[in-house]
Amino acid sequence: MHAQIKNTGKLPPGGSATALTDGRTRAQREELLGWALVLPSVAIILALILYPVLYNIYLSFYQVNLSGASRFVGFLNHREVLGDREFWNALLTTIIYVAFSTVGATLLGLGTALVMNEKFPLRGLVRSLILLPYVAPVISVVFSWQFFFDPVNGIFMDIFYDKLGWFSQRINLIGSPATAVWVAIIFSIWKNFPFAYLMILSRLQAIDQNLYEAAEIDGAAGRHKFLYITLPEVYFVVNAIILLRVIWNFNKFEEVYLLTSNVKVLSVYTYLKAFTGAMDLGQGATLAVLQFILLIGFILFYVKRVIKW
Amino acid sequence: MKRKILTMLVLTLFALSSAGLLAQGQEEAAAAAKPVAIEFWTTETQSDRMATIQVLIDTFTALNPDITINLIPVDENALATQTQTAAAAGTLPALFEGPAETAVSFGTQGVLDIQATRAVVDKIGKDRFYSGPLKVLETTDKSSYYALPYHGWIQGIWYRADWFEEAGLNPPNTWEDTLKAAEYFYQPDKNQYGILVGTLPEAYAEQCFTPIAMSNGAALFDADKNLVFNSPEMKEAVEFYAELAKFNPPGPQTWRARDYYLQGKMAMFFYSTYIMDDLAMLEAAAGSLTGDNFGDLSGADFDPELVKNTRIAPIMTNESPAGYGTVVALGFFQQDDPAKTAAARKFIEYLYTPNAYITFLHMAPGGMNPMLKEIASNPRFQNDPMGLFKSYGPEKMAEIIDGLENVETFSIVEGVRIEEASEITAKQIIPQMLYKITQEGMSVDAGMRWAEAEMRKLID
Repeated sequence: MHAQIKNTGKLPPGGSATALTDGRTRAQREELLGWALVLPSVAIILALILYPVLYNIYLSFYQVNLSGASRFVGFLNHREVLGDREFWNALLTTIIYVAFSTVGATLLGLGTALVMNEKFPLRGLVRSLILLPYVAPVISVVFSWQFFFDPVNGIFMDIFYDKLGWFSQRINLIGSPATAVWVAIIFSIWKNFPFAYLMILSRLQAIDQNLYEAAEIDGAAGRHKFLYITLPEVYFVVNAIILLRVIWNFNKFEEVYLLTSNVKVLSVYTYLKAFTGAMDLGQGATLAVLQFILLIGFILFYVKRVIKW
Repeated sequence: MKRKILTMLVLTLFALSSAGLLAQGQEEAAAAAKPVAIEFWTTETQSDRMATIQVLIDTFTALNPDITINLIPVDENALATQTQTAAAAGTLPALFEGPAETAVSFGTQGVLDIQATRAVVDKIGKDRFYSGPLKVLETTDKSSYYALPYHGWIQGIWYRADWFEEAGLNPPNTWEDTLKAAEYFYQPDKNQYGILVGTLPEAYAEQCFTPIAMSNGAALFDADKNLVFNSPEMKEAVEFYAELAKFNPPGPQTWRARDYYLQGKMAMFFYSTYIMDDLAMLEAAAGSLTGDNFGDLSGADFDPELVKNTRIAPIMTNESPAGYGTVVALGFFQQDDPAKTAAARKFIEYLYTPNAYITFLHMAPGGMNPMLKEIASNPRFQNDPMGLFKSYGPEKMAEIIDGLENVETFSIVEGVRIEEASEITAKQIIPQMLYKITQEGMSVDAGMRWAEAEMRKLID
């Protein structure tokens, strides 16, 4: 603030509207500089994001033939995809996956952040250990999980079937289509909660301690302090995390596909449709477009109605 | 001032164009001895096999310093997809090594250089090859070949002969005996399973399913190239397969579950002759267990009696006997630059010379069997570094190699080659159907209707 006042004091008489030697005003020159600075990023975004998105939309109107000419088919791909039961199954799987993994990761992150905000011995060490799942390479943790859940040799069945008898038979939890989605959800929560934890913890550390002291003087219990001070303070960061997590998990491919290969969330279904079997790139593009529309719709709704930005 | 600029411009232009002409002239002069770099896609993705192939490449390039060969591993299940995308992008490699079925499918898409293949077959001599494998790769008009057969394996049901004897069961040669044994040995409460058949949508499932369908007289096409997939024989085969899959280890499975057999937790499994070294060799078995998937199992007990107690039933019989095997082929992709094809030809010819050939085959004794008759009887070939030929005996090995003459696939019906069948195999439609039926609870009828619709999409 002070620096700003100082700067404006140095401006020549007439301020920013004064014409300089090349005939442009200072404001115009700054505008130009601004454009020059953002131009490389804009160009990269246009080339790497906007172009593929537009090309993808274009492809969705074609029957794509890799070794010959593609044929324009209008809305045929869209009609076929929307009439396909597998698409609706994939959408349902995606909604289950995204909803549970997002809520789970956020709640676990919030809980962990609250605990890690308290003082206890070796807190620094524990804080960094918690980040491990988030920073470990996905392929290596996926293999350990697969081994963990192996129905014949895995530790999980050894403990819960052989030792504890919680299951009536050995089950391939990570392979069977009925249970694999839940393993994928638990995996996602475990892998991604440290991100929520990190964000919330940094917000928690910035809360003015005077608020808590004042509340204590007024006789507020721990529950009240959490509800009326902590929660409102972290409200925005939690919502931002939820929004980001939904976007990321909605498009999540590698975690799901590498772990189980048979949880058909939309991204995996799109891949299978476009690149395996009869390799229908047109329908694959259509699926990607629908995924994009659904996601944009959700973001607009969430930002306007829930976060109320 | 203006004139000066103009003069400079003209001079610059002139300098640039003459430099360009000069460079062009130099290029033309160098064209004769221009070094050429080609890519070689291999489906032998394991690091030790890659290392052996690299040694062969290094030897070849030392003799031919103007040729560079880049070895690129491509997963067998991804070969068709990778090729489609590379073809669309115009970046196909000069050479590939992959299953014959896939090679035929590439051939029908017109991405293979059939003339170059024909030239190499002629140069080596058609009569030196085993005729069965060569027939698998023949073009429809029988004038040429889509690719060259390089090595091959046969598949059968490997089983615990000691368990079968003790239980008084017949070896798994027929549908009835196989099902009976699978049911008998399936004791999940003891963590012991009856059989392993593929139920994940991967190539392995089709490899297990093919001899079962063939032995029931089921086919994908008739000799007139009509799709006859939806037949009572095929339905029986699918039903039988789904029944067998009930005695599998839990959940969807693929070939990796053969490790359960090595651990004494399974009675039978479909597998190729590639398993022979794993069964015979303590080190090989330990290496296999630690390698792919089961890192924690290096300490698992290895049963040295396993090789003695294991036998193979290579032929499945119901209505008729049927065997299954795969020929792995070397093929040329179409190249814009003839120098690349010439270099690739030179390399393939080198790979068929006895020393290079035997080095290649010894990567997996038992699994990789020669396609040239004289190599099979070559004493150096029979003296493999693992001593496998000694432990199994030359007769058993000869029997396996001869089995390659009788390789049957969906793509040859009464001597007629059906390209569409190779296409269906390459796109893994049958494995996907088997997954839907055995794992997703789809009915056999619905599964077959789905598969038929997918197949029709490919044919039309």
